[in-house]
Amino acid sequence: MDYDVLIIGAGPAGYVAAIRAGQVGLKTAIVEKQYIGGMCLNWGCIPTKAILESAKRFQKAKNVSEFGIDGVDTDKLTFNWSKVKSRSKRITRKLTAGVNFLLKKNGIEAITGIAKIGMDNSVLVDDKRITARHIIIATGSKPKPMSDSFSNAPVVEMVNLFDVEDFPENIVVTGNHISSVEMAQFFKLIGKNVTLVTNSDYFLHGLDTFLIEHITKKIASDKIDLITDVYPQKYTDGELIFNDKKVKCDLIVNCNSRKAIIPESETLLELTERGFIKTDDNFQTNINGVYVIGDAGGKSFLAHMASAQGIHVVNAIKGIKAHFDYSTYPINMYTTPEIAQIGLTEKQIKTEGYDYKVSEFPLSANGKALIENNTEGFIRLLSDKKYGQVLGVQIVAENATDMIAEAGAYLKVEATVYDVANTIHAHPTVSEIFFEAGFDAMDKAIHK
Amino acid sequence: MRYIFNFPDIGEGLEEGTILEWYVTKGQSVNTGDSIVKMETDKVVADIPTPKTGTIVALYGDVGDVIKVGSPLVEIEIEGVYAENAQAEVKKEFAPEPEEKAKTVVGTMEMASKSAVLPASDEGTSESQPKEEKPGKKVLSTPVARAMAKEKGININEIDGTGPSGRVTKADIENYKPARKVSAPQVSADVTDDVTYVPLTQIRKTIAKNMINSKHNAAHMSVFEEVEISELIKVREKYKKKYAERGVKLTYLSFIVKAVVNALKQHRQLNSQIDLENDRMIFNNRYNIAIAVDTPAGLVVPVIKDADRLSIFEIAQHIDEISEKARKRELTLEDMKGGTFSITNFGSIGGIFATPVINYPQAAILGVGRIMKTPVVKNDELAVGNVLALSLSVDHRIVDGGEVTRFITKIMEYLADPMALVME
Repeated sequence: MDYDVLIIGAGPAGYVAAIRAGQVGLKTAIVEKQYIGGMCLNWGCIPTKAILESAKRFQKAKNVSEFGIDGVDTDKLTFNWSKVKSRSKRITRKLTAGVNFLLKKNGIEAITGIAKIGMDNSVLVDDKRITARHIIIATGSKPKPMSDSFSNAPVVEMVNLFDVEDFPENIVVTGNHISSVEMAQFFKLIGKNVTLVTNSDYFLHGLDTFLIEHITKKIASDKIDLITDVYPQKYTDGELIFNDKKVKCDLIVNCNSRKAIIPESETLLELTERGFIKTDDNFQTNINGVYVIGDAGGKSFLAHMASAQGIHVVNAIKGIKAHFDYSTYPINMYTTPEIAQIGLTEKQIKTEGYDYKVSEFPLSANGKALIENNTEGFIRLLSDKKYGQVLGVQIVAENATDMIAEAGAYLKVEATVYDVANTIHAHPTVSEIFFEAGFDAMDKAIHK
Repeated sequence: MRYIFNFPDIGEGLEEGTILEWYVTKGQSVNTGDSIVKMETDKVVADIPTPKTGTIVALYGDVGDVIKVGSPLVEIEIEGVYAENAQAEVKKEFAPEPEEKAKTVVGTMEMASKSAVLPASDEGTSESQPKEEKPGKKVLSTPVARAMAKEKGININEIDGTGPSGRVTKADIENYKPARKVSAPQVSADVTDDVTYVPLTQIRKTIAKNMINSKHNAAHMSVFEEVEISELIKVREKYKKKYAERGVKLTYLSFIVKAVVNALKQHRQLNSQIDLENDRMIFNNRYNIAIAVDTPAGLVVPVIKDADRLSIFEIAQHIDEISEKARKRELTLEDMKGGTFSITNFGSIGGIFATPVINYPQAAILGVGRIMKTPVVKNDELAVGNVLALSLSVDHRIVDGGEVTRFITKIMEYLADPMALVME
């Protein structure tokens, strides 16, 4: 065998698995057709959050006088897309360089090319047969294309977003997912007319109903036009035509559901009904020694879950057996304010038959939030009444996506509301809302 | 975490006790349930167990000192108890709660004190775990796992955790199947080729102590009698169904209790005790009949109080109640104290005669054997009789032979002619 482990795809699933494999002493190679870092580093997580940050600062700059800063002529503020893109690309370059360095440091051979799964523990890269005891597919996913009836429409995929020179006035974002809402808000923040077309049955699937209602209200107050449950029929003369209405549309941003990128294979790879590669609980496919991690397996579409799956599989190869925990991963939304959720939703808690309690604490009663003028938001802590176990946490706050990590630790160690309440939080911090919610769960929040 | 253990009211309504002997010294490690001090009260000499595992950091009093109920006895440093756990325990102790469950006969307690307090408190929930922990082994566990283990009475240290670094998780508690029922007093056996050594349980220690005490102090004398009870059988058969309809099991024991009480009223020496120190007799004005009950954990002796004021129906009701409570190990100290005369009913298991040991300092104990079909002479003819065997042990210091005979004859009269039970 040429390698102990061969990984196909260098996104957050593949490159993390590769680094881990190198660290534990496995002879490892990683095959990537083009970009180290995959969707996450090149077009997804990092770049979109980078441009969102620019858009948020663009908005905030308009309010600096509130903080006592004079001399900014807010009428002259403009959003320089070209500079924003450059900044984002610099971040991407820095991070991909870091990944390349780590791959080298851990003795991983990077092979450029397109991989095909071969017979007998082999992979073909440009007709060269490479053998490996374990093969990990981490090829990721791509969005479903718009239907043919929109072939005349100006559609941009997320991977091409950075090729756009300048954005027109009327933007339509399609999709049901968190990224759809983030992109809709991005365009709104930079001053565009935005319409979000979505299917309410799948809109933000996985989030607590309470949060979905909150976001829906937020979308309305942001004056983003939300169209649910009707799909446009065609595109004519700068307009999307729906059953009963027309929407001005100069550009469609496709944030539709994603489908797996399935590598070619000499042996049949079994797929699920939804078109993802089928695996057992330990991510092994129907072919012995061939695993799938990340989006291609369809179990989750989050970078951090892809990385966790990569580590899990490499650990399993090294004989470190564990149960993969799907219950305690954060779902983050980089809107303004940010929204984050971890653990069970209220609906799931009901289904599981818990006698539960919902404890809330608003940011409007938090000192740091007032200081930063970010009082929009709250924490919701869902706990079981019998033992006080923390079952789920939801946060709407400027930095909710960072704050949710604390809740992750509570869930991971099966903490109770008493632990949350008794964890001393520095003052003033927005994180103080945690212990307030903890106290609220036991009895009554201190500052409520 | 420092824990101050106050001298508990061990259920006799007492106000104070005298330290007879310390079993522990400062700096000594103790486990929950270990006896820490021997206290003398006006009614009993009792070993007081610690409700907590930890290290003794202070003893409040020397041998001979009188300690008021509710005053500190010892201070214990509890290791590894997080604030919320300790608080949970406080809450439990302050919460209104039924009487502590006594596991044994009056004299030795195995329970925590209601009056115990902690130096600090805020909040908490779940009940405390009354289980001893193996010293030197403390597993990693998640907060929820600890709460669940406490609530379910599982010793978390006996569980092999499946979490990181062997941490005991919620799932481990949910999947835990105890090797044996944990409610029985746990003793570890030490097996050699010839014999197996098993440490004494508190209840066995107490039984042993009380038996020796009785045999040592009372002058035992036993008499045996047989009484023909065909009439009683008829009466019981007649009323059994009616009682059952009212949810009560009518047993022979109910009649025997009634017969004993009626006889005691006429022979008060049998319902008394001797007080040699003060050169006096103590005659009981109440007729509290203690019934010896055999349970898997050992002998318990709950009391039917003021049986003289109860009808046979009410006595039957009480017997039902205490049997049920004994079976469920729910007897309280209140249920077991104040007996003035005892009955032991070994006939229900199949015995005939015995020499029962007096429930000291009572004056007598009646042993009830089984009912046997036996040839008897009725009206100078042989007939099939139903004969009940009676064994009566008395303290011969208190009661003379004549009085004993008169007493047991009276009981026999009542049992032979049940009408007399209600007619007198």
